[in-house]
Amino acid sequence: VSEAGHTRPLAALRRGDSQSFGGKSSALGELIAAEIPVAPGFALSTGAFRAFVEEAGLDGKIAVELSRVSPGDVDSVVGASHAISEALRSAPVPESVRDLIARAYAELSEEAGLPDPPVAVRSSALGEDAEDSTFAGQLESYLWVRGAERVGDAVRDCWVSLFGPPAIAYRAHLGQDEPAMGVAVQLMVDAVVSGVLFTCNPVSGDPSMIAVNASWGLGLAVVGGEVTPDDFLVSKVTGEVVRERVHAKDVEYVPDAGGNGTVRVDVPEERRAISCLDRPALQALVEVGRRVERAFGSHQDVEWAIARGRRLPDSLFVLQSRPVTGLPKRRSTPENATAMGLVMSWFGAGDAEV
Amino acid sequence: VDTPPGCEGWEELYPYYALFDEERRETDEKRFWFWNSMHFPLPMPAFDAICIDTAYQALGSWQNRVFAVPPAMGIDYRCINGFIYISGNPVTEPEKVAERAEHFQRRAGYYFEHWDELYAAWRAKMEGLIAELDALEVRQLHELEPDEVVFGDQETTYCAVLDAYRRVLRLADLMWQNHFEFLLLGYGAYVTFAELCKAHLPDIPDQHIAQMVAGLDVSLFRPDAELRRLARLAIDTGVDSAFIDGRSPAEIDAALGEDDAGQAWLAELEKVKDPWFHMATGDGLYHYYGSWLDDPTIPYASLTGHIAALKAGEDIERPTDHIAMERERLASEYGALLDDEARKGFDELLGLSRTVFPYVEEHKFLCDYWFLTSWWNKIRDFGGLLAEHGFLEDREDVFQLSRLEVYSALDELLLTWATGGQPRGPTYWPPIVARRKELLERLAEWTPPPAVGAVPEAIMDPALIMLWGVTTQRVHAWAQEPEAGSELTGTPASPGVVEGVARVVRTVSEIGDVREGEILVCSITSPAWAPIFSKIRAAVTDIGGVMSHAAIVCREYALPAVVGTGRATSQISTGQRIRVDGSAGTVTLLE
Repeated sequence: VSEAGHTRPLAALRRGDSQSFGGKSSALGELIAAEIPVAPGFALSTGAFRAFVEEAGLDGKIAVELSRVSPGDVDSVVGASHAISEALRSAPVPESVRDLIARAYAELSEEAGLPDPPVAVRSSALGEDAEDSTFAGQLESYLWVRGAERVGDAVRDCWVSLFGPPAIAYRAHLGQDEPAMGVAVQLMVDAVVSGVLFTCNPVSGDPSMIAVNASWGLGLAVVGGEVTPDDFLVSKVTGEVVRERVHAKDVEYVPDAGGNGTVRVDVPEERRAISCLDRPALQALVEVGRRVERAFGSHQDVEWAIARGRRLPDSLFVLQSRPVTGLPKRRSTPENATAMGLVMSWFGAGDAEV
Repeated sequence: VDTPPGCEGWEELYPYYALFDEERRETDEKRFWFWNSMHFPLPMPAFDAICIDTAYQALGSWQNRVFAVPPAMGIDYRCINGFIYISGNPVTEPEKVAERAEHFQRRAGYYFEHWDELYAAWRAKMEGLIAELDALEVRQLHELEPDEVVFGDQETTYCAVLDAYRRVLRLADLMWQNHFEFLLLGYGAYVTFAELCKAHLPDIPDQHIAQMVAGLDVSLFRPDAELRRLARLAIDTGVDSAFIDGRSPAEIDAALGEDDAGQAWLAELEKVKDPWFHMATGDGLYHYYGSWLDDPTIPYASLTGHIAALKAGEDIERPTDHIAMERERLASEYGALLDDEARKGFDELLGLSRTVFPYVEEHKFLCDYWFLTSWWNKIRDFGGLLAEHGFLEDREDVFQLSRLEVYSALDELLLTWATGGQPRGPTYWPPIVARRKELLERLAEWTPPPAVGAVPEAIMDPALIMLWGVTTQRVHAWAQEPEAGSELTGTPASPGVVEGVARVVRTVSEIGDVREGEILVCSITSPAWAPIFSKIRAAVTDIGGVMSHAAIVCREYALPAVVGTGRATSQISTGQRIRVDGSAGTVTLLE
């Protein structure tokens, strides 16, 4: 990838770009192509990460440190993580990469019609979000970041998180080497409510259901497990809410009043015990869930947010989508079963010849 | 279980074998007996017990002796304080199950393969039975036999009356035989389809399965459809002003009779009555549930309601097109979610269910409503004969005697009429009748527990699961102590959530108390109550599954319903505010 190719609008990415831009960014591009509402943004390639490592002359050090890791030895993992992170943190982000980020951020600012718009800076690792290896929660995201300088720093922090102890241990466990990572930078969705939806019931495996978890504020509270979210099961076929469990939601994440980053605050008493999603919002989520599933052709685990100050359906944004892993196996139907054969076996005559 | 005060001696109403006894105690105590409040929500009058004996003879015959359903024989019953408890007889030895399976394959297979022709023959048989019942005559006892006995070849009266009584009993046997001929197999196909759906779509609401299978042109809905048509006709011909809320059917008829247009409308009504007014006013297993012919209050109230709705510009049509489209849409959307392998079974079973399920819906009208309401009236004719000769005070009293006691009373009546001697019956039977009426009234105040005996680990009996919705899960829920908790759970039968004031209805005679906007709480609703469904906001029942007729009608009327709660009528009281969630299957007591 040439230097100029290190950034790309998210809208220009497709599934096939996951090797150069990582799983998350390419999935977001795929969503945009399917006309699913995604906050605009740009992606940074894995090449940018490699340029950073090369320019700092750290590729040798990283390889040596990683070669000392043995998967079961916690001390070796922590030691390597510490050494690599220190080195990466004190290395400068190459000017050329900083310039690319600043240019893409300026374009985003223009698109948003805002000076220094708040953005989310999120890791988009190779292998991340793939069906067979879920890195869920092991790599960092930085929310509510403003200004080109801070965005550049957040990008480096994302890169560093590639060498956090859990990420190193996980890769060692899978036998992966040569880690690399892309980064997605998106306009921030000022979420009133956010959460996760599955395009099937992840517990029972029922493909006719959409399962939704939701809580107040930014998605950190739900994804990080800091609240017990409201829990809904909605029929894809009829839109009926077949299960609704409203829980007390004590905390939420909101943008820091200082303008950078987020803070965790108590949810005001009057909003705690009430459902954070009404029926129209659930219907909009079902609709979006169905479209995401269709776009990828498989069951998806989707992060979403409903933005402040807009109305449905325009207020609903998809933040990321990845395949659902570990669905329960369903009972198989005997091959070439006739209706009568099946009825017979229900009556308890299943072993005899039909 | 204790006998309620003042009910001592209730056992005399029932046959010796219907009671729990010392000789069978050891085995009976190990069995699980649940109150069949779906069919027998009230204490059984002695005569009405025929609907237990004959029905279970028929069910057991088909399930156990004809089709040899591998894991289950028939249903036993016992009576406690007038209420009927039932228990399945499982087949436990694996060799026996395997042996039965071979017969079952061959026999049930034949029925499934030839369903359409067998079912057509069945309808003809049922219509023949009803015609035979109508033609059955109960002869009067005259001073002298008619000339035809001497100069023609007519039977003597005593022979004819006893023969008519034996035949009326035989017709009941035949009706129950027909009733169960297809029922188990029909439910079997449906339940297999439901099981396949649940294996692949574990969260699918039961009502969606029912919607995919449900028939569109079902005779159960015809009576009300005819009433809607007559309501439109009344408006079109300008006779609608006769229908005023609060007027009795007789008053409405009188008002209509005053002019030609009204008389023309009444003539049109007459055409509808046969057969559609053979709809029962309650589930037909008790003698006091008559037909719309016997008591036209329900259809007339319904006509008045339909006319008022039409004049208010409301659409009263059953949304048949919408139901048909939704049925196909659900089937194709759910089908599309399945992999190829499951899809094949899904399509096959849906096809079979749609073939066989019309029977499940149709038999109710022909057997339980049309036949039974006519049949009770024929028994009343025998009661009339006994009353005329002083054996009973009123013809209705015939239902206080068992069918064998009635035979015995007729025997004596005909004997003493023939001999000219003095009958003992007029002093013997009336005190018995009086005592039993009082007992039944007292027994009705007792609240039967949902089940007695040992809770089984699993319920395997197809009939119990299919007909009563008694599943392992349900049984274990019943077994828990009734808590003072504010929530009841049951089977979600028709979606939607509403809050409102409860109206607990324990007998059909209380139906008239139901007010606009209330939530009906009852042991079991019957589709014959259809007109009150336009008044209520939701329904809750003690027993019944998603295939119960209450559930079917609630879906028709788009009312939330929770069925099979076990104890709604004993935990909820009239006037209490409750919330019914027909999607989740919960009933919350709000105060």
